[in-house]
Amino acid sequence: MPVTNVISEIKKDFIYNLLIKGERVDGRTFDQYREISIERNVIQKAEGSALVKLGSSQVLVGVKMQPGEPFQDSPNRGVIITNAELVPLASPNFEPGPPNEVGIELARVVDRGVRESKALDLEALCIVPGKQVWIVFIDVHILDDCGNILDAASLGAIAALLCTKVPASKFGLGEDYILPLRDIPIATTAIEFSDVLMFDPGVDEEAIANTKLTVITTASGNICGMQKSGTGMLKPEQAYRIIDIACEKAREIREKFLEA
Amino acid sequence: MITMDKTDISFFKDGLRLDGRRADELRPVKIEVGILTRADGSCYIEMGGNKVIAAVYGPREVHPRHLQDVTRAIVRYRYNMASFSVEERKRPGPDRRSYELSKVSREALEPVILTSFFPRSVIDVFVEVLQADAGTRTAGINAAAVALADAGIPMKSMISSCAAGKVADTIVLDPMKEEDNFGQADLPIAMTPNGDITLMQMDGGLSPEEFHEAVEMAMKGAREIYELQRKALVEKYSQLAGEPGKEEVHACD
Amino acid sequence: MDRKVVVPGDLLSEDAKRSGEGTYIKDGSVYSLLYGLANYRDKINVIPLAGKYVPAPGDNVIGVVKDITFSNWIVDMNSPYDGLLHISEFPERIESDEMSKHLRIGSSIMTQVKDVDPTMKVELTLNDRKLGLIKAGRVIEISHTRVPRLIGKGGSMISMLKKEVNCNIFVGQNGRIWISGGADDTDLALKTIALIEKEAHTNGLTDKIVDFLKTEKEARS
Repeated sequence: MPVTNVISEIKKDFIYNLLIKGERVDGRTFDQYREISIERNVIQKAEGSALVKLGSSQVLVGVKMQPGEPFQDSPNRGVIITNAELVPLASPNFEPGPPNEVGIELARVVDRGVRESKALDLEALCIVPGKQVWIVFIDVHILDDCGNILDAASLGAIAALLCTKVPASKFGLGEDYILPLRDIPIATTAIEFSDVLMFDPGVDEEAIANTKLTVITTASGNICGMQKSGTGMLKPEQAYRIIDIACEKAREIREKFLEA
Repeated sequence: MITMDKTDISFFKDGLRLDGRRADELRPVKIEVGILTRADGSCYIEMGGNKVIAAVYGPREVHPRHLQDVTRAIVRYRYNMASFSVEERKRPGPDRRSYELSKVSREALEPVILTSFFPRSVIDVFVEVLQADAGTRTAGINAAAVALADAGIPMKSMISSCAAGKVADTIVLDPMKEEDNFGQADLPIAMTPNGDITLMQMDGGLSPEEFHEAVEMAMKGAREIYELQRKALVEKYSQLAGEPGKEEVHACD
Repeated sequence: MDRKVVVPGDLLSEDAKRSGEGTYIKDGSVYSLLYGLANYRDKINVIPLAGKYVPAPGDNVIGVVKDITFSNWIVDMNSPYDGLLHISEFPERIESDEMSKHLRIGSSIMTQVKDVDPTMKVELTLNDRKLGLIKAGRVIEISHTRVPRLIGKGGSMISMLKKEVNCNIFVGQNGRIWISGGADDTDLALKTIALIEKEAHTNGLTDKIVDFLKTEKEARS
């Protein structure tokens, strides 16, 4: 049974009263992200890894690669497997046990960004057509959930892939080489609360909002994945507005942190 | 899987081990206290190539309720390895090994925790191995003890943990991966600073005399780790206190 | 007064009579039970840096209603133990089916611990004029280990603060604090409480706070 997290009305009112004045609990503007830091290659046992801090939220992503069999319907393409563990260390609300729907949704949205942006050239990951291809495991480990772990996880995944070395020599497949990437997808998430749109929500903001929209954009400014979540509703105009800001934010993040 | 005959490996060169250590030397240790925001207490530890985080939540309500003990807090310990923490990707989730390690690690810490202070509650200890390099259970226990202290849990003392091993008929402290994989014995222990042992496991082969030597050596390692745990906690307090308060936090005897 | 950072198991004194809060006695010596600051007076007390609030009879606390049963409101107190507020402890006579009209899930209340039994069943009451539903103002959380400093000796700190910042303040022993006043006054109260929390372990805290309030007020006028 999950720990019920009652947010007091007085706290809700406080956040609401701030936002009608155009303010947020931590003094940010509505479209402002918390401070981001990315530390790469923190796990030497992984082929690539990144520790992302988004404010106080912390997410560690590790990439492992090994040769394996391709799927029957795509015999010449490598395989991406994305998994997320919302381990109970990261939040009083996370429980031990197999991934629940929140964890699976998170992994699938992270996966969507990598897959749909075509950042990985899956055909280049074929070793012997129909027989052997590279399997890329993207494992997301949430360490501290202080809100918006989805954006942090997506950022961690692409940052880890960017520093991934294909371990060819370990499997007698020639020399190791840097995994080539063709795009840098960035996920940005906004919540809607009382007609106000707030990017990069903190835990309290997430707790009061019923609607969340994640937009994943490519380097060329196209949208390659989206996910609306929560039990609230969203108007088309709000989605358009979120997308406009999302593209802008994604560009800033990409330029500042990933295009070195 | 790589297979190697133990005779293929030479564990010592000029009296030093593969990584340049003496037989009775620990790998480098780094301890940071309070690195997580959500947890009530937390600790990050590096012991050699091991990178481990421990978090403590509680005392808090027990779910499901039938696990409650009306006389004391229950302690739960969950040891978990990240998929990317080992050479060959590990399938996520617990396996038989992690259940066993969780049990003995909990039993290593529980003797010093004042559980009777908090009837009907639970103290949760979560240990995540981010990178494994032989000795993850000892690293986990060391981090967990610091995280418990950081969470303000009353304890009779700290707990410190270290292993000794036997390679090429020599007893060594804190075995690294190669020594663990191809060595002759592994003996992890945990203890209070007074030397009361709360965890003891062994596999391999030791004569009673070698066992004696190995226990002494593991205890020496645990005592060194205790000093580092203590130092990390004291330093965190001084940092929190900041400059204005610092001069008032002084030793007195 | 001598102070020292200690960890669990540290030897504090060889005189068992000096055993105070946060310590235990073994073989006639006094040891620390906690990670915190040891205060050496006649008795040695260890003040923890962190830890959960455990309810005690008579404590004022701020709770949030998290569930409603036939005759009890179940109240979260930022503690391992929920409080039970029985319908009969509500200041006026009400019927079971109208409980949620008075206190809903999510309502914050200023309440008092009436009784705690050995299995930690905690009963609360609203039967006092200073207690009741919080309708306006701010509720903030600090570590409950800092509450004694915020209150001060004989309530000296909190009375001074209330007067100086011109706010109503209710301090819950569980670390939740209600502040009600004008926007600027509330801001000053919040800043001052943050400073008290940060400097809780230092000597001469009252003087520091008096100076701080003086400077802040001068800057404002």
